[in-house]
Amino acid sequence: MGRRIVVVDDAPIVRLMLKDILQENGYEVVAECSNGNEAVAKFSELKPDLVTMDIIMPEKDGIQSLEEILTIDRSAKVVMVSAVDQRESLMRAIKLGAVDYIVKPFENERVVSAIKNALGE
Amino acid sequence: MSDQSRINNAITLIARLSIDKSSRTLSKFVRAGARIELERAYVVDVSDATKVIAHGESEVVGALVSLTGDAPFKFLFFVGLKDSFLLADLILRRPLGTTTGFDLYASSAVQEIGNVLATSISNVFATDFQIVMKSTPPMVLHDYAETLFEEYILEAAAEKNELFIIETKFFVVEHNINCHMFIVPLHGSEEVLSSIANRM
Amino acid sequence: MSGMDTSNEILVGVAELKTGKGPQVIKTNLGSCVAVCLYAPAQQAGGMLHFMMAKAPTDVDAKAVKKAKYADTGVDELISQLKGLFGVADGDIQAKIFGGAKVLKEVTHNIGYNNEVAARAILRDRNIPIVSSKTGGERGYKIEFNLGTGKVRCQIFGEEIKEY
Repeated sequence: MGRRIVVVDDAPIVRLMLKDILQENGYEVVAECSNGNEAVAKFSELKPDLVTMDIIMPEKDGIQSLEEILTIDRSAKVVMVSAVDQRESLMRAIKLGAVDYIVKPFENERVVSAIKNALGE
Repeated sequence: MSDQSRINNAITLIARLSIDKSSRTLSKFVRAGARIELERAYVVDVSDATKVIAHGESEVVGALVSLTGDAPFKFLFFVGLKDSFLLADLILRRPLGTTTGFDLYASSAVQEIGNVLATSISNVFATDFQIVMKSTPPMVLHDYAETLFEEYILEAAAEKNELFIIETKFFVVEHNINCHMFIVPLHGSEEVLSSIANRM
Repeated sequence: MSGMDTSNEILVGVAELKTGKGPQVIKTNLGSCVAVCLYAPAQQAGGMLHFMMAKAPTDVDAKAVKKAKYADTGVDELISQLKGLFGVADGDIQAKIFGGAKVLKEVTHNIGYNNEVAARAILRDRNIPIVSSKTGGERGYKIEFNLGTGKVRCQIFGEEIKEY
């Protein structure tokens, strides 16, 4: 069984793109979330190996969700997914404890490399 | 040159810097060449704004984003309905023609392209002018072109009777897709735009 | 300010009002804005106001206010033009109102509903009966006001055309 990943993004098309890439590379997508509230809830429930987290989302953004997830589990592995190059947000996320980031529109190879890196593979 | 003309020039400069970046971003997203076909900056009376917008499209899908911060702007990206199907197929690398109705992925394709383009514009503010901007999650609307544009200009039109509009058309070359992008400065952006104009 | 347009098809934009006579047709598209269609059947004359906010500001010079942006100043201006251009009298006018949708679900305040309330209030204050209306919903409106018959064809996005 592949490593378990929760995909978080408010755009269904991005969730599908990520899911396709992850599944093609042997990872199991155990949940998809469209906002930060769902993300934190699913993380608590499923304790995945990794979370991919969009930054800009309605209700609760990715940075706040990251903080809450790390409060639940300090060793949680979260890879931020950012539109173009939101440098300030990304730096903040890395300082808070995100392990890596992917910039949209993303290349498949970059997604896989970020995930492998985050999981220590 | 009047203060307003100088501010308009500053906005046009920002738009030009954004457009180049946006074009590359859009090309990468749809994995096809995207050419900037036309860019124009114009002042229009609020009442005439929706009349010039439709470009022959009656049914469109658009993503509206508010860029907040020191220089608030309103951003809009829209395409004709059938083009939203093509964009979804291109982004998902599915055979063209797979998407045949306005579904979650057609809506989300426009949403995400809007998100990425709006962010690339706020990046220009940050990297070229050191102005911090933040973009809101896009609001997607599938409706008449004039209705979409009316909602888009409402906030700016509440404060002014004339709007300064930057309009850009992107053309996804291989697939004959016309995309439209607009930016409109909001009340509160004058000071920052004036300072940019002073540096020009 | 808009006056008489002599072409057969008259297009009205946001924060605009236009008047005319039969067989002219006045057209507009709406979202959260509301269109007030005033008609004087005896004269086959009428006008459409497409406004975006309820009340005009009182803390600015009246000359600087774009009257058609607001329900209160817009309706009064439309009535004034109908009287001045077509000799319409107070008791001659009837109204139909359209629009006021909430097309952007994410927006918290319901501008469309507020606009509808404002239109109804000003028309009531001016003793103009609203003989029919179609308002609200979550989709845009396309309307055509026929000044020959006083009828309004209304098509909400995704729905069939209906006549009011």
